[in-house]
Amino acid sequence: MAIEVPVEHVLLVAAALFLLGLLGVLVRRNIIFLLMSLEVMMNSAGLAFIAAGAKWGAPDGQIMFMLILALAAAEVAVALGLVLQISRRFDTLDVDAASELNG
Amino acid sequence: MLEYLWLVPALPLAGFFALFVTEGKLPDKIVAVIGAGSVGLAALVALGAGIEFVQSGEASYSQTLWTWMAVGNFAPSISLYLDPLSLVMTGVITGVGFLIHLFATGYMWKDHQEPEGLSRFFAYMNLFVFAMLMLVLGDNLLVLFLGWEGVGLCSYLLIGFYHRDPENGYAARKAFVVTRVGDTLMAIGLFLLFRELATLDIQTALGDAAQLDSGMATAIGLLLLGGAVGKSAQVPLQTWLPDAMAGPTPVSALIHAATMVTAGVYLIARMKGIYDLAPAAQFAVAIVGLVTLLISSFTALTQTDIKRILAYSTMSQIGYMFMALGVGAWSAGIFHLMTHAFFKALLFLASGSVILALHHEQDIFKMGGLWRKLPVPFASMLIGSGALVALPFITSGFYSKDAILLTAHGYEHHGGLFWFGGVLAAVMTALYTTRMMVVAFFGETKTEPHDSSRINMWGPLVVLCVLSIGGGWLGIGVLDGLLGPINEFSHAHPMALTTMILPLIGIFLGWPIFRGQIDLSRLVGSTFGDALRRFWQSGWAFDWVYDRLFVKPFVWVARVNKGDAVDLVFRITAAVTRGLHHIGALTQTGRLRWYAANMAIGLIVVVLIVASA
Repeated sequence: MAIEVPVEHVLLVAAALFLLGLLGVLVRRNIIFLLMSLEVMMNSAGLAFIAAGAKWGAPDGQIMFMLILALAAAEVAVALGLVLQISRRFDTLDVDAASELNG
Repeated sequence: MLEYLWLVPALPLAGFFALFVTEGKLPDKIVAVIGAGSVGLAALVALGAGIEFVQSGEASYSQTLWTWMAVGNFAPSISLYLDPLSLVMTGVITGVGFLIHLFATGYMWKDHQEPEGLSRFFAYMNLFVFAMLMLVLGDNLLVLFLGWEGVGLCSYLLIGFYHRDPENGYAARKAFVVTRVGDTLMAIGLFLLFRELATLDIQTALGDAAQLDSGMATAIGLLLLGGAVGKSAQVPLQTWLPDAMAGPTPVSALIHAATMVTAGVYLIARMKGIYDLAPAAQFAVAIVGLVTLLISSFTALTQTDIKRILAYSTMSQIGYMFMALGVGAWSAGIFHLMTHAFFKALLFLASGSVILALHHEQDIFKMGGLWRKLPVPFASMLIGSGALVALPFITSGFYSKDAILLTAHGYEHHGGLFWFGGVLAAVMTALYTTRMMVVAFFGETKTEPHDSSRINMWGPLVVLCVLSIGGGWLGIGVLDGLLGPINEFSHAHPMALTTMILPLIGIFLGWPIFRGQIDLSRLVGSTFGDALRRFWQSGWAFDWVYDRLFVKPFVWVARVNKGDAVDLVFRITAAVTRGLHHIGALTQTGRLRWYAANMAIGLIVVVLIVASA
């Protein structure tokens, strides 16, 4: 017998995760942590999709989650390349060091 | 017949392109062969075409090469039109042009100022010949205008040929700007003509000219006269010609004596149909000619630079041509154009030889006693001067000038006045020519000449000598039949003897004066005499007046308006845009986290707006 979890609760958790991720993106300077925070944000969005799909009994939510997984994988592949370049060029993982492209 | 007529302008154009695309990399010898050869071939073709044309007995021949553009009903074509008038002009341009090109191969060889410039020189010269031929052979006014502007361009380029000296650049710009005044008038005249008759084809326009009301015909005639005055250096747009002598001497001979400056005469002769309908405009032509020939012959008397003397004498001879057209001596005017081309080219080339032999000394008072040292240039100058003075019977200038003066005497409006002015100028011509010859070639030697001329320099002189003498009989014999009777008055005219004798007085007066046998120093040295001399020497103060009237105010306005009030609108727009750019650029910090924060804030704002709506 499954326990019914109210969709509001799940959405609250998703929102909290999203905010945590955003906060991480905004305050962390280390680019690895930044990427991890991004990952958290994406998963929070995925959680919201799953919850919504369960509520309406539609498969769309799960499909969207699969899409987000694929997107995340692709993003990480590119991002890790960038991380490698930044660490080589600037000899640091501080994302603020790569701010030459300004005004 | 005559399908090869297009070759006449095409050959010099080909010469120009050959010299232009090689950018002066060809050896000098090949440059000389291309430069002079293209014009020489054109002269041969023109000669052949002329003979065939005369033998055919046709009144005209036209050849359409292609359509220039087609816009609705307006479809001017590039076409050539050969009739006696354009045939004479073509003959002069290619024939005299070739002789001058030939002379230039010697004169410009290892030139002292521009030793690398031979290719550039001949490229410009060939382009000039092409443009001039398009001017006279053009079947419609658009082609004529193309040639008209083309010769103006070449004149500008060649006056400023010695471009290292800023003075020459100034002279070139002056010539360009002053003639532009006339060209603008002419363009307006052409627009009017097109508006009234809806065609630019010359023959059609002249055929339909009777539709013009007389006011419009006068306006068009005067506007076209404006263009002719600018190009032919007549009063009041004459000031550029003396300064144009800054160019190399062959240029002065070809462009500023023999051909281009006679374009105005050609234009008026070509548009004769318009002037027939506008007696006022025709009278204005005669007046312009009379005033110019008087002013410039007095000015020539006081000049010391040999080329400037000849420049002023060119102006006055073209004044005769204008007067001839004005008083109706149409064919005599064209005849004088031809003989003038012969003897003025001769005078310029001979003076070029002298100048070269004296290492570019142009002041006649630093010459002296050259007749023994430079026999060929001296003989050429003598014959050329004789033709300029119009020595009776033996020189070509006599026949043409005589015809003009006698026709002027019979002119219905103040004919006597025109005759008197013409004869007075003829006396002055004799006087200043004698002065030039006596001062430069007689007396004691002041500068030692080094004559290094070869056959390519004295050959053209000899040919031009023959033409300066024989051109008169040629004119009477050939042009009489082609253009119509040149001198309708027999020599039994009551004024014939006076007209013939009076110029000789100038010589007999001038010889003792300038040899120093008659002392005029008290007259010349007096306050009045000196003031008059300086007034004449400045070209009747035209330059001074124009400087005060146009140049100074213009420079003043330019200086006051340095910031350019009109530009302010654009500059304010630019400043505002630049300010906005700076503000916008502030947000572009390059920091990733700053962008992320902004995105988040932006998203929140959007969500709030959507939620509140």
